[in-house]
Amino acid sequence: MEQIIQVAVLGIGLGGVFALMGAGLSLVFGVMRIVNLAHPSLIIGGAYLAYWGFRIYGIDPLIMLPVCALVLAATGVLFYKVFFERDAKSATYSEMTVLLTFAIAMIVEGALGAAFSNTQRVTSPSYATDAFFIGNVFIPKGQLYAGITSIVIIGLLAAFLKFSRLGYAIRATTQNREAAALLGVNVNMVGLMSFAIGIGLAGAAGALTSFVFSFFPAKHWEWVAVLMSLVVMGGMGSILGTVVAAFSLSIVAAFVGTWIGSTWSTMTFFLALFLVLLFRPQGLFGEKPELV
Amino acid sequence: MSDAMQETGAVLEARKAYNETLRIKADQTRATWFPITIMILLIALPLLQFTGNYNYLLHMVLLTASYVALASSWNILGGFAGYISLGHNVFFCIGGYFAGMLVARYGWSGIALAPLAGLVAALFGYVIGLITLRVRGPSFIISSIALVMIARLLFDHWKFVGGANGVTLPPTELSVQWAKLPYYYAMLFIAAFTVWCSYKIKHSKFGLGLRALSKDEIKAEAAGIDTRFYKVTAFALSAFFVGMVGAVWGEYLTYIRPSIFLVILIAAYMVLMCILGGKGTIAGPVIGAILLTAFNEFFVATMGASELNILGTGVIMAVCLMFFPHGIVGSLARKGRLPRILNWD
Repeated sequence: MEQIIQVAVLGIGLGGVFALMGAGLSLVFGVMRIVNLAHPSLIIGGAYLAYWGFRIYGIDPLIMLPVCALVLAATGVLFYKVFFERDAKSATYSEMTVLLTFAIAMIVEGALGAAFSNTQRVTSPSYATDAFFIGNVFIPKGQLYAGITSIVIIGLLAAFLKFSRLGYAIRATTQNREAAALLGVNVNMVGLMSFAIGIGLAGAAGALTSFVFSFFPAKHWEWVAVLMSLVVMGGMGSILGTVVAAFSLSIVAAFVGTWIGSTWSTMTFFLALFLVLLFRPQGLFGEKPELV
Repeated sequence: MSDAMQETGAVLEARKAYNETLRIKADQTRATWFPITIMILLIALPLLQFTGNYNYLLHMVLLTASYVALASSWNILGGFAGYISLGHNVFFCIGGYFAGMLVARYGWSGIALAPLAGLVAALFGYVIGLITLRVRGPSFIISSIALVMIARLLFDHWKFVGGANGVTLPPTELSVQWAKLPYYYAMLFIAAFTVWCSYKIKHSKFGLGLRALSKDEIKAEAAGIDTRFYKVTAFALSAFFVGMVGAVWGEYLTYIRPSIFLVILIAAYMVLMCILGGKGTIAGPVIGAILLTAFNEFFVATMGASELNILGTGVIMAVCLMFFPHGIVGSLARKGRLPRILNWD
């Protein structure tokens, strides 16, 4: 029993980080219909920012988090202006943008690799290797803090989407772009803002990632499939679905990792993706099936 | 036979005759001599070996030929049917490992095994296609990336095929001067066969169906095309050629390991070559493969580092997508400026 609680606790901690990573991705897809394959590579970018902040100035990654988020959000605005601010009406738009973000992912990976080399890095504030004990259950502080921070950020995001004016506009655009535009929503502005927020969330996730996982520029390929499987499973564009998928799959993955072997824990995400495609192609919270 | 049926028969006859005249007309304007001449030159190229060591040249042609075959077969699914797969290197890997293991265990010839390896890859393609082709657009692309990750995990930890270290294959017994020749001809033949097949597919009823479903799948379905069968078959077909290339490539390198086949860069190359040259055209992937090999050699020679290579590939891909989404052949054809020697469609 204790072991089960232990594994579940570890799973929940990771689930929080994955949920934060996936939430930004889901937001961008929902509003812009862009499957941002560059999202994980930008998370790595945020992680490097936190890493160097800690190495050079000794700033705690949790304090660096808003800085990472802002810098990445600015990068997001830049990328949006350079790459995506074009006619979104073409029939193959979403396929073309997938390839474009794939190219951006390669550009970011190559640039980070050239600048910082491909050695594994990890930020090591004192709590990263420390732990609490409740009875015999062992709770690593790093994962706990990261998980709690993620949940707080996701809560803020949810409140923002629910109550603010821009949040209304974002939700309206996600539901129906044309109708939102007809009712006077500036969909281009909403697109830009949600892209910036999404990439900003990637920066925040990067700061947390920097002390939870070890990272190197090519690592993002491992995450891209994991995060994408969360987004597909949650129902493309549903942030709630992504968060639910992140927590449930992370817990399952933690059990798979303990009982079958840690190499197979990521397999959980991919198998879940294929099962979802087989039995419920629109995902858990998706509304209309794209094509069945 | 009733009157109505006879009438339909007559209409079909007339349609057939009309199509035949169209075909003859198209054939007269097509410069078929150009690819044939290139082929003859390439077949004669190894004669240079009598005068000195041109192994580097042969290697470059071999590499280009393998890229041509990979890109052309990707084009069957990505260009004709419009399903963009970022995981086609899985079939490259399956072909390579199937032939490679038989070479390593029983000393069979990888080149002779290539068609069989292709069939195995096609079988896997058919089964995987049945699952992943249920969704189109972004979800399909994501599932194809997941496929690579699954294959990488499996092959990295599968003891029978040597795990991440892979398997070393026996080297060829030919002298250095002639060692490359069997692979050279095999790859050249596979490339030519793939291009020829993609031409045949594009001009068949099957190819027409694929192009219809790439434009609008629901309308195609309504028009009576069995879209599910069509796209799954296209997936299997494109896996077939990729598997053949994998079989020959593995034996040529004399070792097989996951890090050769299952890296995302190979999948990116397949997409990039088609987009560079022109998706959905016959000559496009060929042009793209030649350009990409040249770019790569240039990058490696001038900059060396693989990170810069990734960066360069990404930049070229982004620029192509943003400014020439139809590729070289596609853009020229749209402007009516395509030289006759490149009009292979």
